[in-house]
Amino acid sequence: MTASVRLNQLNHWFGPFHALRDISLEIEAGEYVTLLGPSGCGKTTLLSVLGGFIEPSQGTVFIADADMTSVAPAKRPTTTMFQDYALFPHMSLRDNVAFGLRMTGVGKAERHRKADDKLDLVGLKADGAKRPHELSGGQRQRVALARALAVEPDVLLLDEPLGALDLKLRRAMQDELKDIQRQVGTTFVHVTHDQEEAMAISDRIVVMNAGRIEDAGPPSRIYREPASLFAADFMGEMNHIPAQVGSAGAQTALTNLPAANLMSGAATVCIRPEAVRQDGKGIGLGDATVRDATFFGAYTRAHVIPTTAPDMVVVAHLPPTSLPETGAVLQLSVLPDDIRIFTKDTA
Amino acid sequence: MRMAAWLYLILAFGFIYLPVGTLVLFSFQDGTLPVPPFNGPSLQWYTEVLADDDITAALINSLVVAIGSSAVAVVLGFLAAYGLARHVLPGSAIMRGLLIAPLTVSYLIVGLGLLIVLNRTGIGLSLFTAGIGHVVINLPLAFAIIYASMGAQHENAERAARDLGASEAKVVLLVTAPMLAPTLAAAFFLSVTLSWDEFIIAFLLTRFDITLPVEIWSMLRSGLSPRLNAIGSVVFLISVTAVLILEFTVLRRRRS
Repeated sequence: MTASVRLNQLNHWFGPFHALRDISLEIEAGEYVTLLGPSGCGKTTLLSVLGGFIEPSQGTVFIADADMTSVAPAKRPTTTMFQDYALFPHMSLRDNVAFGLRMTGVGKAERHRKADDKLDLVGLKADGAKRPHELSGGQRQRVALARALAVEPDVLLLDEPLGALDLKLRRAMQDELKDIQRQVGTTFVHVTHDQEEAMAISDRIVVMNAGRIEDAGPPSRIYREPASLFAADFMGEMNHIPAQVGSAGAQTALTNLPAANLMSGAATVCIRPEAVRQDGKGIGLGDATVRDATFFGAYTRAHVIPTTAPDMVVVAHLPPTSLPETGAVLQLSVLPDDIRIFTKDTA
Repeated sequence: MRMAAWLYLILAFGFIYLPVGTLVLFSFQDGTLPVPPFNGPSLQWYTEVLADDDITAALINSLVVAIGSSAVAVVLGFLAAYGLARHVLPGSAIMRGLLIAPLTVSYLIVGLGLLIVLNRTGIGLSLFTAGIGHVVINLPLAFAIIYASMGAQHENAERAARDLGASEAKVVLLVTAPMLAPTLAAAFFLSVTLSWDEFIIAFLLTRFDITLPVEIWSMLRSGLSPRLNAIGSVVFLISVTAVLILEFTVLRRRRS
């Protein structure tokens, strides 16, 4: 079971606080979408609006082309997987998973069979008789997933589902979530503040900030060609180089960069640390002195100081085979495709 | 120093348990006076007590009033706590205060007030009216205990149940109440023990069918007898049983 979602010009206020600002978003049936942003950016509010726990002050929510804006959570084709899992402590895992089916009047034998199927899907087939307190955090999370999927929702909403797990388990559960989503085909909307998690799991990422959508698109596009300075920074480490856009392009202390179709005025040039090269390809960034360099296994992380701008520190991820000594002078360059320039109005 | 600590311990426990111990000891008195010297063990007073229809009737009356009034107090206290903990209501702070306030009113005042009201309305005094009195004194306690343990962690489970299609009644019956089962049982047993040996309200609000404390009081007027000791011991045994049930089922489970 799966359905598309369409959000139309959503606005929401908590008292004087403008929590959602002009949110419009279309999610295709069967898509895995992540709402990514710092705490307080409105991502959880948006999820609550989708789940029916909050009715938006303005705008409409369509699920499978039906207007769901003021429909109660129980009557929506959505289920929510809560951050603290919210399992029923007094019920066995089987009864937890079967709860939604019990509410729709499915007979005991039938709902237990379906619950066992869902427990099997999350790898807990043998534990149906256990109680939630006997499980580890990762297992509880799986039960919560099985319970939410048991009612065969069109859209599953996940509120920071991996937030309570340790890093290693979190990475393992990401793959599992993605895998299960592919098997069931349900539309997943997942809230997180972890950009690595978002990149690992999503078909599409929606970056949010201060109640607005900053950018929305496939992970690689958002990482490589972010639509805003905020999205650029949130997706990973970024070198900021101040620039002045004029008729000659974007002038920086290092070099002049081509800047077609940009408003003239102050701007910020963004280059990812791994895009800084020392093989001379692309546009030259001039000489730079190595302040320090550390070996990280997959790459060498270096802080370098450009000769033409001694106040600036550029972070470069160089190939792991080169570990330059402090004081060494490198010839830096960057490919034109790896440069993003944000003028004040796009930032 | 160590000796002094042990001495203190023995004195403290002696102070608490000596009266009860004496009462139980002289219930086995072979003679007609519950005072030293102890003439040797005998079960004659227990035989007499259990053969006395008035006393067994009063004992059963007490149990009925205790269990009935406690059940009502817990149900009402739970509903009030659920309403005030889960919904934004106008004047909820005042309502909470008014619910708990009767705890500060003396039983005598509660009993007198109810007596006046009942006389005015023409409802005859009976075990039922004594039960009403016990609900009045136990409801604030039950409410306070249950309200205090309705935390936010339960609230999310209730949201999940609603999200999965449960109606409000089903949420309360299948999720909220079972999750609070230890608290509900604690409030219930506490109410039972308080109602079980309550005297003033039961004395004022009963007439022909009376509860055990009232029966004991009327027997006391004809002087001391090992019979009273035997009744006291039975009452004590029942209270201890209630407390032990509470300890071993409810509190033990919650700690684990």
